[in-house]
Amino acid sequence: MVTAFKAFLATPAGRFVGVYALVLSLSFLVLALRPVNDRIVNPYTTLVAREARLVLNLFGEGATVSKQVLSSPRFSVSIFNGCNGLEAILIFVSGVIAFPAPWRRKVLGIVLGFAAIQVFNVVRVVSLFYVGIFRPQWFSVSHIFVWQSLVIIFSVVLWLGWVRTYALAGARR
Amino acid sequence: MPSRAPAADIRTFLRRLPLALAGAVVLWALARPIYAHALCAATQFLARVAEVPPASAVVLQGDDALLGRTDMRADSGWLKVPLVQIHFNLVPFLALALALPRPLAGGGWRRLLLALAVLAASHVLALLFQLKFLEAFSMGPWSQANYSDLARNVYGTLRYFFDIPVTFALPLLLWIGTYPQQVFALVGLGAPVRR
Repeated sequence: MVTAFKAFLATPAGRFVGVYALVLSLSFLVLALRPVNDRIVNPYTTLVAREARLVLNLFGEGATVSKQVLSSPRFSVSIFNGCNGLEAILIFVSGVIAFPAPWRRKVLGIVLGFAAIQVFNVVRVVSLFYVGIFRPQWFSVSHIFVWQSLVIIFSVVLWLGWVRTYALAGARR
Repeated sequence: MPSRAPAADIRTFLRRLPLALAGAVVLWALARPIYAHALCAATQFLARVAEVPPASAVVLQGDDALLGRTDMRADSGWLKVPLVQIHFNLVPFLALALALPRPLAGGGWRRLLLALAVLAASHVLALLFQLKFLEAFSMGPWSQANYSDLARNVYGTLRYFFDIPVTFALPLLLWIGTYPQQVFALVGLGAPVRR
C-alpha cells in the first residue's frame, strides 16, 4: 500500500495531487491566523465590498461601505470570510501552482484567474444584494447553496481553461 | 511536462457540466430530507458516545439543526445551524463527477459511493465540531468548567477547518481522488479515457 502510494506520488499525476493538497491545506491554515486575517483577509473583504458598491452605484443604488458591510437604503449585507472569493482563489491558485507548467505561465494564470474570480465574486455579491431586495426569502438558499456551489465549479472550470489555454500550449513547444 | 490533452475531452466535459449540475441538484433535493435526519442522528450519536450523562443534542428543525444540551435550561445555549451550509458541497462534487466520461464504469460507482461516504463523514464531523465549539465557548461557567483553554483552541480550529477549508476543498480533492484516470486525462497528465 505504502509502496503503491509512493509510486503514485512519483508520477506527474501523483506529484500534482500531493502538491495540490499541500498548497491548499497550507494556504487555508495561513488564512486562519489572526494577523493574516486582520491585515490581509479583512482589508481584502473590504475591497470586494467596495468593488460591489461601485457596480451597485452604477445602477443608482446609493450604496456605502463600512468595513465589511455593504449598505444601501434598501438592503444591507455583511461579507464574511468564506463569502469574499478567497476560497475560490485558493482552489484555483493551488491547482495552478501544482500543475507541471513553466512558472511564467503559472504567474500569468494566477494574475488572470485572480481577475476573473474578482469579477465572478462581484457578480455574486451584487446579485445577492438584489436577491435580498427583491426576493429576501430566497437570499439564504442563493447565498449558501447556489453561489457557493457555483464558486467551486467556477474555480475548476477556470483551472481547466488555464490548463488548456496556457499550460498545455506551453507543453506543445 | 504534461502531454497535450485532447481538447475535445475538456469541451465534452464543459458541455456535460450544466446537465450534470442539474442532475446533482435533483439528486440532492430528493435525498435532502432523509439525509438531514441521518446527519443529525449520526452527529448526536457520535457526540454522546463518550459522554456521561449523554446530554448533547442535535435536533432537526426544518432545514436547520438545533445544537445544545438537554441537561441545561431549555432557553440557554442553543445554536441554530443551517444544514445546507454543511452539505451543499455534495452538489458540486456530484456535478463534477457526473460530467466526466463514463463516471460509473469500471467500478466507478463503487468509488463514487466511497467518496460520498467520505463527504458524509466530513458533514458529521463539521456538525459535531459546531456542537463542541458551542459547548466549549458559549455556555458560560459550564464551558469554563468542562473545557480547558487547549480544548477550546482545538475545537475552534477544527470548527474553522471543517467550516471553510474542508467544505470547499474536499469535493475537489475527492473528485480527483475518485476519478484520477479521467481527471488526469482531461488535463493531459494521463492517457485519454474512452467516452
